[in-house]
Amino acid sequence: MKHSVNRPPTPDGVVDQGKEPTLQEIINIKLIESGEKERLMELLRERLIECGWKDEMKALCRAYIKKKGRNNVTVDDLVHLITPKGRASIPDSIKAELLQRIRSFLVSTAL
Amino acid sequence: MSSKINGNVSPQQCPHLLDFRSRNGSKPFRALQDCIRVKPPGGRAAIRREPSEVPGCGTCEESSRPRLYACVACAAVLCHSPPLHSHASTHALSNPGHEIAVDVDRAELFCCVCRDQVYDRDFDSAIVLAQSINAIATATTSTSGATAMQCNVAGSQPENLRKRRRVDYRPWAPDSREHVIIGNHSILLHDATNASLISSTELPRGLRGLNNLGNTCFMSSVLQALLHTPPLRNYFLSDRHNRYYCQQKNGAFNGTKNSILCLACDMDAMFSAVFSGDRTPYSPAKFLYSWWQHAANLASYEQQDAHEFFISVLDGIHEKVEKDKTKSRSPGSGECCIAHRVFSGILRSDVMCMACGFTSTTYDPCVDISLDLEPNQGGSGKSSSAKSHSSCNVEADCKGSNQNCGISTLKGCLERFTRAEKLGSDQKFFCQKCRVRQESLKQMSIRKLPLVSCFHIKRFEHSSIRKMSRKVDRYLQFPFSLDMAPYLSSSILRNRFGNRIFPFDGDEQDASNELSSEFELFAVVTHTGRLDAGHYVTYLRLSNQWYKCDDAWITRVNDSIVRAAQGYMMFYVQKMLYYKASEKQAAS
Repeated sequence: MKHSVNRPPTPDGVVDQGKEPTLQEIINIKLIESGEKERLMELLRERLIECGWKDEMKALCRAYIKKKGRNNVTVDDLVHLITPKGRASIPDSIKAELLQRIRSFLVSTAL
Repeated sequence: MSSKINGNVSPQQCPHLLDFRSRNGSKPFRALQDCIRVKPPGGRAAIRREPSEVPGCGTCEESSRPRLYACVACAAVLCHSPPLHSHASTHALSNPGHEIAVDVDRAELFCCVCRDQVYDRDFDSAIVLAQSINAIATATTSTSGATAMQCNVAGSQPENLRKRRRVDYRPWAPDSREHVIIGNHSILLHDATNASLISSTELPRGLRGLNNLGNTCFMSSVLQALLHTPPLRNYFLSDRHNRYYCQQKNGAFNGTKNSILCLACDMDAMFSAVFSGDRTPYSPAKFLYSWWQHAANLASYEQQDAHEFFISVLDGIHEKVEKDKTKSRSPGSGECCIAHRVFSGILRSDVMCMACGFTSTTYDPCVDISLDLEPNQGGSGKSSSAKSHSSCNVEADCKGSNQNCGISTLKGCLERFTRAEKLGSDQKFFCQKCRVRQESLKQMSIRKLPLVSCFHIKRFEHSSIRKMSRKVDRYLQFPFSLDMAPYLSSSILRNRFGNRIFPFDGDEQDASNELSSEFELFAVVTHTGRLDAGHYVTYLRLSNQWYKCDDAWITRVNDSIVRAAQGYMMFYVQKMLYYKASEKQAAS
């Protein structure tokens, strides 16, 4: 990328633009910087596989692709398809566990 | 765009990607190479300019967007959040040549105009290379981490493997009508109205001691295993190699020749003798004599290595084929002779150049798999024999994770065998793409499983430097049922590449998936004693009972005795060919 010719100036980091970052933004950055987000993602992946959620989503995608034909489907179509159903079908126990983890993280970083 | 990723058909590239490639020379993604970060927990690849970079959309200045893409042309990071907005697409449409971007969290290419994922071989091989290097580095620094990953590999069976099997294994029992048919057309071997009950004094057919002819326990142990190798036993007992016919065909009875050397004929004779019902120990003198003629350098009354004997017997049976021009010569196909039909599988070896990711694949037939024991045992300071009895209970918890329990397992050896290994700097491999010798990663996997898998544990270490040999007595735990699916090429490669295009042609959807990957143990050749003064004993599993075959003495033994034994060669047969004792049927 350093050698690319037509290159607009590299966008600066979020903080220097003069716009006040939202709370969500601050938390997100803290999570990433401490590495906690990565750990939470791994935990979430594990839980969603265990409870069969991933397989369900996969089956939904397969059914959709079969219906539309595999040359007529894009990633965006699939994301659009499974986002509402996916969000709705996450087991409460998983939500609770992750929220608990995030809560304890926030307490420990003393925001 | 075509959908088959892992192997056969590569996806059609979108016109923007083709365009990008043509404008940017031979290494269009070169700049991204340095930005690939692989995180240890899952081995996932991400794109970051600096290791601690927190990517955020340049337009809306938020890092909490779920999908962020970095433009490959100018490094601008933008979000893609349909249906609200897509700053990435806006950027692509207003800047020609900036259509291709990479998902920063998933390291996958995306065309912002077509709004779909695109695939590129060079890019994917660079990612896979980075992941492999990371996996090696993790394995060497933290062994338990790697084993945990391997456990996940070993534990799950890929869906495709299950679905592609043509016929599902189903247990079958005859119904009443079939019972009648069977009864009318068969002669009972012994008086048994209840076929499931075997009296304690009654030994199954084909169990017969083999006399020791002078340090020939290496031979009798292997012969016992071969005599009860289901496909081999079936072949000879159904007269597929008739010794009289074979000898006559090869001119034995004409003139003054005594008999033509044919190990298969001697084997046929032995099968007939052993399964005749006669229980007095049999002396395999003729077989020994024929084998001496075949393996002249081993003809002596000294102790020999059982594994070496096994290989040379298979070789001897195969040699006859040279004269038969109608059969194919290649052992890999298993068509040449019964020895290879039963024992021959195909191993796949992938050597990947660590500089450019180019991989060279070779296939080699093999009649067995020789496995190394772990070099140094960290966990178990206790003596192996003391631990072996308690290890029986631990088996259920350990599964493939031997490091945590401190004992070696067969599965652990297989995992090590199929692990990607960095070749030493003195073993640099000539990379066809780089045109120089480069450091490489090598990974073995099983392309085609044989009907019978023989695992040989390398317990005898010969050091030519110190001019001495020693025996490794360490206990190895082995399962009675073994699923080989995690060690197949299709599984190994799928776990390595995930949803990337293989940087080379994978063609794994054939022979290996036709038969099941589940195996049952039926024979164990064990060795006790020292290198120069030791004794071989074979344990056979017949009708779910274990029998100890110690030269001429056959005794029934418990499971636990077998589990505690020092395995040297383990014989596993495909579950579909293995006949277990049937449970007492409710219907009859």
